[in-house]
Amino acid sequence: MNMYSIRILTNQPLRLTLTVGGVALCILLMFFLLSVYRGVADGSVEYIRQNKVDLWVLQCNASNILRGSSLLSTAHGYVIRQIPDVQSASAVLLSLSAIKKDNQVATVYLAGYNPETGHGGPPHLVEGRSVLNDNEIVIDKSFASKFRFKLGDSIQIQDDTLQIVGISAGTNAFVIQYAFVTLKRAQSLIGFPNIVTCYLVKVKQGKDISKVSAEIRAEVPGLEVFDHATFLQNNIHEMQSGFLPFIYTIAAIGIIVLTAILSLLLSVNILERRKDFAVLKIIGSPKRFLSGLIIKQAIMISFLGSMVALILFFPVVALIEIICPEVSTKSSAEHIVIVVSIAVMMSLISSFISMQRIRRIFPLEVFS
Amino acid sequence: MKERETGKYIVQLQDVSKTFGSNEHTTTAVRNASLLASSEEFIVLFGPSGSGKTTLLTLIAGLVKSTSGTISLFNRPIEDYSSLELQQMRATRIGFIFQTFLLIDSLRVMENITLVLRFAGKNKKAAQRRTCRLLQRLKIDHLAEKFPKTLSQGEKQRVAVARALANKPDLIIADEPTGSLETRQGFDIIRSLNAYSKAQKSCVIIASHDMRMADHADRILHLRDGVLL
Repeated sequence: MNMYSIRILTNQPLRLTLTVGGVALCILLMFFLLSVYRGVADGSVEYIRQNKVDLWVLQCNASNILRGSSLLSTAHGYVIRQIPDVQSASAVLLSLSAIKKDNQVATVYLAGYNPETGHGGPPHLVEGRSVLNDNEIVIDKSFASKFRFKLGDSIQIQDDTLQIVGISAGTNAFVIQYAFVTLKRAQSLIGFPNIVTCYLVKVKQGKDISKVSAEIRAEVPGLEVFDHATFLQNNIHEMQSGFLPFIYTIAAIGIIVLTAILSLLLSVNILERRKDFAVLKIIGSPKRFLSGLIIKQAIMISFLGSMVALILFFPVVALIEIICPEVSTKSSAEHIVIVVSIAVMMSLISSFISMQRIRRIFPLEVFS
Repeated sequence: MKERETGKYIVQLQDVSKTFGSNEHTTTAVRNASLLASSEEFIVLFGPSGSGKTTLLTLIAGLVKSTSGTISLFNRPIEDYSSLELQQMRATRIGFIFQTFLLIDSLRVMENITLVLRFAGKNKKAAQRRTCRLLQRLKIDHLAEKFPKTLSQGEKQRVAVARALANKPDLIIADEPTGSLETRQGFDIIRSLNAYSKAQKSCVIIASHDMRMADHADRILHLRDGVLL
């Protein structure tokens, strides 16, 4: 009797609309959080993922560049380059820097790299080109959008004026965005010309990476040497440990609200039709029919809510990205399946909560 | 009496009492009631409001448990039925009619009736066919697609009767079935039930305080302060 479930719901169109709206907002929130998480997860480590070197060499006890500091000297690089199987060891200096333009001040994660090897540079360029000299800078796309920077603009870092020559993508780590200058410029900005953060090492063709890693450790004791996959994983783990609890908390609130809204609506529908349910019990309704009525209503609401959320999702995300360009999202069919599955699961839980009310309806209630 | 004891009765009540409440705050709605009701019998149970008529009907239908005494339905003690068997019995062998009709407002007339047939295990098409025939027989087939809210009181009760008769029940329990109807409409309903009882060899037990119903009864029972006289 699907029709009966539908009529119970459509009998109060305003209530149905509000409930579907509430459920849709909860689902939209979950979609959004999941896609923000994916966007941040990718954006935070895209720089590392795309710099496909064989080894990352950092200071002792440093395992990542997202939430760890590493300081090495240029002498370390000299020693590493002397190892026979090392093809190149490109220094990268990462530091937080304030960028000024007119009256605006913003902070970037400034990466100084060697433009000749390109290692440690922007992973993707959406406009312009990489830096060629010390007076140029490449900035992140969302950063440029947020502060309305464009190619050719001059910006100030400390007392130096740099020209924007490129706009990069995959360099938005949500709370901060990457910017790229030459290594020399980055070193001059922090005032220590012989300091770098890490070395990106390429091993000669056909040579054993783990053997080279061991040789670096042997030559320069106290350094941390990671292969690319391990270093990427370290950074992903670091990003997740800082970001996931926040996402989980909000998602959990969304799920609880969704369950509460559904349970409330289903319970109200049951209470309003108390006599109907009592009559159904008297005339021999099987228990599964009554519980089926509730489950069908819950599934219908979560289906409608999911549809509304899907329709709203892309315009809402587009709007958010206009208002807050640093919010980068990534969504996929997998996300839709995950969120809709959660919604269906929660609707089943809501049904079971509401079904308790049916048990407390007694057939005698209908007798005059 | 021998015949009675061999169990050819649809309803058997022996010294049945029902008390509500606990400790000092108890009310005995039915006291030591005994009743034997066979098929084809049209029994009218008279009594003023609060006399225990409805409680007696709910005891007979197995909707409440008695405090003492034994109730047998279809020759089997009611306590021997599992809750599933009771539900199936109500779906297949007992028809109910209420004073306020209690049709499901969200369902059309046709759906209200097919629902009970579906509960009894009939498939959708068979249930619809049976419903159409029943509505034609009761001359209310023109109401099939209407919602109960749009019907008059008389029409509602005829639909309620159709619902009660849908599964060709062996026992029909009616609680003040004419209470909300005009005299003529009330008589029509009673005549329909009486005719059904004779045609299908079913037992009909009606609780009422409408004395005019006595003309149609095979047996009249009076209930006063929970005591069956």
